[in-house]
Amino acid sequence: MPALSTQLLVIGGGSTGLGVAWDACLRGLKVVLVEQGDLGQGTSGRYHGLLHSGGRYVISDPTSARDCAVENRVLRHIAPHTIEDTGGLFVATPADPLDFPDRWFAACQKLGVSAEEITATEALRLEPALNPRISRAFLVQDGSLDSFDLLHALTAAIKRAGGQVWLKHRVEKLILNVNTVVAAEVRALDTGELITIRADLFINATGPWAGQMASMAEIQLPITLDKGSMVAMATRTIHTIINRCRPPSDGDIIVPIGTVAVLGTTDVEVQQPTDIAIEPWEVDFLLAQGEILVPQLAHQRPMRAWAGVRPLYRPNTVDLGSTRELPRSHIILDHADRDGLQGLISVFSGKLTTFRLMAEQVMDLVCKHIGIAAVCRTDETPLMPTSRSFYKLPDRLAKLEATTSHYFPQVICECELVTRSAIEEALRATSTHDLDDVRRDLRLGMGPCQAGFCAYRAAGIAHEVAPPGSWLTAFLEERWRGMVPLGWGHTLRQMELMRRIYLELLQTHSISEPTK
Amino acid sequence: MTEVLVVGAGLTGLFASLLAAEHGDAVTLVAQGHGGLGLCHGCIDIWGRATPSRALSRLRKSHPYRLAGTAALHAAVEFFDEITQQAKYPFSGSISRNLRLPTALGSIHPTALAPQSLAQGDLDDGTPFALAGIDNLRDFYPQLAASNLRHTGIAVQSVLELPIPLDGIRHDFSTSDLAQLFDQPNWREETARFWKPHMTGIKRLGLPAVLGLRDPQHVLEDMQQRLGVTLFEIPTLPPCLPGLRLEVILRRRALNTGVHLIEGPRAVGRIDGRSGGRRVSGVVLQTAGGPRIHTADVVILATGGILNGGIVFHQNGSVQESVFDIPVNYDEGRDCWTTASPIDSQPYSGYGIMVNDHMQTLDAKGAPIFENLYVAGGLLGGADRTMEGSRQGIDLATAYRAVEVALF
Repeated sequence: MPALSTQLLVIGGGSTGLGVAWDACLRGLKVVLVEQGDLGQGTSGRYHGLLHSGGRYVISDPTSARDCAVENRVLRHIAPHTIEDTGGLFVATPADPLDFPDRWFAACQKLGVSAEEITATEALRLEPALNPRISRAFLVQDGSLDSFDLLHALTAAIKRAGGQVWLKHRVEKLILNVNTVVAAEVRALDTGELITIRADLFINATGPWAGQMASMAEIQLPITLDKGSMVAMATRTIHTIINRCRPPSDGDIIVPIGTVAVLGTTDVEVQQPTDIAIEPWEVDFLLAQGEILVPQLAHQRPMRAWAGVRPLYRPNTVDLGSTRELPRSHIILDHADRDGLQGLISVFSGKLTTFRLMAEQVMDLVCKHIGIAAVCRTDETPLMPTSRSFYKLPDRLAKLEATTSHYFPQVICECELVTRSAIEEALRATSTHDLDDVRRDLRLGMGPCQAGFCAYRAAGIAHEVAPPGSWLTAFLEERWRGMVPLGWGHTLRQMELMRRIYLELLQTHSISEPTK
Repeated sequence: MTEVLVVGAGLTGLFASLLAAEHGDAVTLVAQGHGGLGLCHGCIDIWGRATPSRALSRLRKSHPYRLAGTAALHAAVEFFDEITQQAKYPFSGSISRNLRLPTALGSIHPTALAPQSLAQGDLDDGTPFALAGIDNLRDFYPQLAASNLRHTGIAVQSVLELPIPLDGIRHDFSTSDLAQLFDQPNWREETARFWKPHMTGIKRLGLPAVLGLRDPQHVLEDMQQRLGVTLFEIPTLPPCLPGLRLEVILRRRALNTGVHLIEGPRAVGRIDGRSGGRRVSGVVLQTAGGPRIHTADVVILATGGILNGGIVFHQNGSVQESVFDIPVNYDEGRDCWTTASPIDSQPYSGYGIMVNDHMQTLDAKGAPIFENLYVAGGLLGGADRTMEGSRQGIDLATAYRAVEVALF
């Protein structure tokens, strides 16, 4: 079995794991990161896109609120290219408790979360689509943050600094020597090869999989899995993040990001990290709540629904109650102190907004264990934009229109303006040639037609770049999954169009594709 | 002379209008938009899954084919053949045996009738063939198609990429742009000159379906003669040329036959109160200038299924017919409408209007709701057209049956 040694092995390629690996690189450590799927395939890629101001948590979770407020400023400094400075509003609707805004505003001031009250008229001038019956409005420093851009920037930075990021590598076993984790057996999912990685320390940053990972070292984590569902509307409608000014509850936020507006979220306790099916009531609830904030949503088309699984900390002292009541701040467990097991640290819960702080605290602990005195530099080291900054549609349009070459670029995905050359480049950059990875890189098939037209084209291009894999069916199934919870009206018509194209015109069901 | 009103200008509505008009009745065809023909491959699928003639006799009694009857299907196909022959766009094939045509993905499309330009690609024809893409056309990938065909054991001689004479022009063109270019003799002459050197050793060549829109048979024959090979076309992503050609042919003939076409307004059903609610009197058209009443002795409803707007699925779990609000047969609750994979059969596909063998809508007791309202095509329930491969066959047979009962 091939083997290699490193100082730090980070398990999990979400924002937390990549943040830890980046911090480790800056402190001069040798680091390898393994991720079982693609970047952000777990919770980091399945969120609403909100860069928290901290306002959401000033009452329920002051630590989280303070952390968010600080990290919000840090991220705007180190990764401005991933953030759209939309600003945010907290608005009180007639359905919300009257006494809450004053309590909330006082808590903001106490915790250093920037908030400024404006009149309802001013708020409506800023966001004409808002419910005209709002009574109070506060401006906060929310933004929308593109997690895929952030993860790509982190990965590029890690690689430039000499760290390694291995995608599609799954840890199958942690090898213990008495009371110390000494190595991990890692399976390369593409080739099936098994590799042993030895390291001084192992970081379990696997998000909702953290419990399963810890159980490989026979440790039980106090973790509860909590599914949050979201709905993306096909149009953006608003340009400011809109929060309900009331105690945190389901369906209290609308985030404009890219070309869509995302309604979030629900809270449902689940058993497995893969339990991401969405119930009809969740969608109905989110749409109904969204309409209270922005009434015209009732006439717009919901485009896609998805869910992420939050790994929340549930100490034994907390009664089994609503998962909404559980603290959202992050947890770092040093298993040497807690369980007498050396070499393993688990980090989970927390927000995408605070990923850098989580990483800093993990690395402080790592340095203490390894006995080095390096200080954290991630708060002052800018992350360079990567060449894969594809998120902003107007930027893509400007680039297309500025084309001076003889051939006009072929636009393969018309909804998201993805060109043939961009797809070819993305396919060549990865070893997998999986259309779903290309989607995450380029937003291929993420617009209103949900790959109805571009899936065939992309499969054709993929075949030319790297036969024989195309996995068209798997890609269509993934797109279909996000439409099923919204399967009525125009979305169901869109689904039917997809079936007409792929089953009646292309007879996709009658071919057997090469298997993964 | 009976006043006939047909609602919907897809394959069903156009075909029914022609039948009625050629029978000598006064036909008005109202349509909110174009029908679904441009989304279709332009062939007539009758029964894709098994030998058609045998399968049709074994269907459930509520299946549209059983209700329309085999005689209507045969008569409809005969009339369809006559229309397309006269339009110089002849179809090959028969009800009793399917052609096996290659798709743009390299899978096999079993279909009963296909225009000659597609039928020449029949995989049961032993002539070796090559596939060709057209430079910079984003809707057809011959390498992928060839690979999938070879994977199923079908030999593809070679795969070519053919240039087109568009030098000096920035182009990101569609199949319909190309088809309109092929309608021009100069373009064909120049293109054939570009292509001719690539034809060495090729007897039969498959191309994306771009060979003309207005007079496709002439374009096909002309290109074959210039290149010296048998050409066949493969339907691409929508807008799909063979489907559009059918729309052109049917519309042209409808207008020539005196069908009065009203396009644009939405139609709302109008019930004849004086009949005690047993008859419909026509529709109210929501025109830009205000509502306009259009009365008729007979109404044929051919508004299509979910994709074309004949049936509307609501968030509250109900399903509605969009013109007369006649009852739809469906399962209550959104979560049972779809399944987890788009390539499986979907429950919603079978939802629609239930009719008797006169194509009249039925109430809960099974009695006709309106004496003079007939339903045909995609609006009918009781069939999963996608999985059966029966879409156009049902359209033609039920349109024929509705007109036959109402007028003949």
